[in-house]
Amino acid sequence: MMEVLRLSLVGGLLALDATSVGQFMISRPLVAGLLAGWVSGDPPLGLLIGALLELYLLVSFPTGGARFPEGATATVVAVATAAATDGVGAVPLAVALGLVWGQLGGFTITWLRRLNGRLVPVPDGPHPEAVTWAHLGAVGLDFLRGVAVTASGIVLGRVAVAAVVRAWPLGARGSMGLLLVGGAVSAGIFLRSLGGFRRRRLLFMGGVALGILGARFL
Amino acid sequence: MMASLSRRTLASAFARSFMIQGSWNYQTMLGSGFAFAMLPALRRLFAEDPEAMRDSVRRHLEHFNAHPYLSNVALGAALRLEAEGEDGDTVRRFKTAVRGPLGGLGDALVWAAWLPAVSLAGLSLLWLGAPGWVAVLAFLVIYNAGHIGLRAWGFHAGLQEGSAVGQRLSRASLGNLTARVRAVSAALLGLLVGAVLAGRGGLGAAGPSWGVVAILAFLGGLVIGPRLWRPTAVVLVAAVAFLATWGLMT
Repeated sequence: MMEVLRLSLVGGLLALDATSVGQFMISRPLVAGLLAGWVSGDPPLGLLIGALLELYLLVSFPTGGARFPEGATATVVAVATAAATDGVGAVPLAVALGLVWGQLGGFTITWLRRLNGRLVPVPDGPHPEAVTWAHLGAVGLDFLRGVAVTASGIVLGRVAVAAVVRAWPLGARGSMGLLLVGGAVSAGIFLRSLGGFRRRRLLFMGGVALGILGARFL
Repeated sequence: MMASLSRRTLASAFARSFMIQGSWNYQTMLGSGFAFAMLPALRRLFAEDPEAMRDSVRRHLEHFNAHPYLSNVALGAALRLEAEGEDGDTVRRFKTAVRGPLGGLGDALVWAAWLPAVSLAGLSLLWLGAPGWVAVLAFLVIYNAGHIGLRAWGFHAGLQEGSAVGQRLSRASLGNLTARVRAVSAALLGLLVGAVLAGRGGLGAAGPSWGVVAILAFLGGLVIGPRLWRPTAVVLVAAVAFLATWGLMT
């Protein structure tokens, strides 16, 4: 119970970083995964799940009014679920749960932004100075939203994943292969956004060669 | 000119700019966050005239949107304009004129170039065998050097130039910087792909059939683009759910 509370508070704080406070990117899955893994007692697992979700969310950013999957709470939920579950299927099931929870987290951000519209003073209202309390109140609500999204995800996720993890049919390598296929789509989308293969082929292929050499010899 | 605003007041406005998106909403977008960041300075500037202060807060509560880091350019410039006693319409016109460019430049430089480039660097380090904490620390330090540097530069440029800050933005050639970061990103993406293909625990270890499927998936992303992202997430979640159900049935 205390562990779920700790992880939910971490989820709330990381959710704040995504848009409301700072944007230092401690909310990115790579960082959130390590932090959640550390709180759950399994940093390497947190890092693995964080890296996979970072790869998936490579092309997803908190831009303006767009709805985007919430990486921070999704990562904390995925890591907390996998850390509490034994079996090869824990990681793929947790990553899939993280993807679903990221979308739900995105919906809650949209709801909060609608609510913020009613909280902040209107420009032609009688008390414009009330902006300080309205603003800090909105930040507080975002924190509570992050805590609630994380806590509900962990509780539901642990029950759901524990129920099916023993039946997971793939081995460790197959599970990793499946997860990396999803990441490969993001990598392709990102290369396209950089101008496509033709335009970037020298730099991209040079990087591939260096990556293969580095993986072999480092 | 800026003597009426102490260093402490300016530091307070700069610190508050890190929360500029705290009450983001669909009516005024960054408007309330902008007014929140301006408030300490406005209290000082209009200490003798509460009604003028209210008017000033009202105009900064109005609709405003920009990239959160580059909104500091508008924040610094608006502080200067208010300190110089410019009339409200001039301040309004200035904010309306800069919000579009600050949004477009910031999104292209930070969200579409800097963040993915540093993210790819962190992931590549991890996949090439660096300790996890090193990869994460490198990501945070490099990213935030650019992030905080951009916020500080923007705030300072706005304060120095006021409504003429557009020329400073042009001289800074943020578009060229974006192009260079995107070129580096292509090499970093290649580095990550190579490391995942050949690294321990990557696609090489998963077996050639997964490697072929991953290459096809990569090509799909390359040809179809961002429209494929959501369907991919749905298919992956559906595949995991199907496999788990299939395991339960057999």
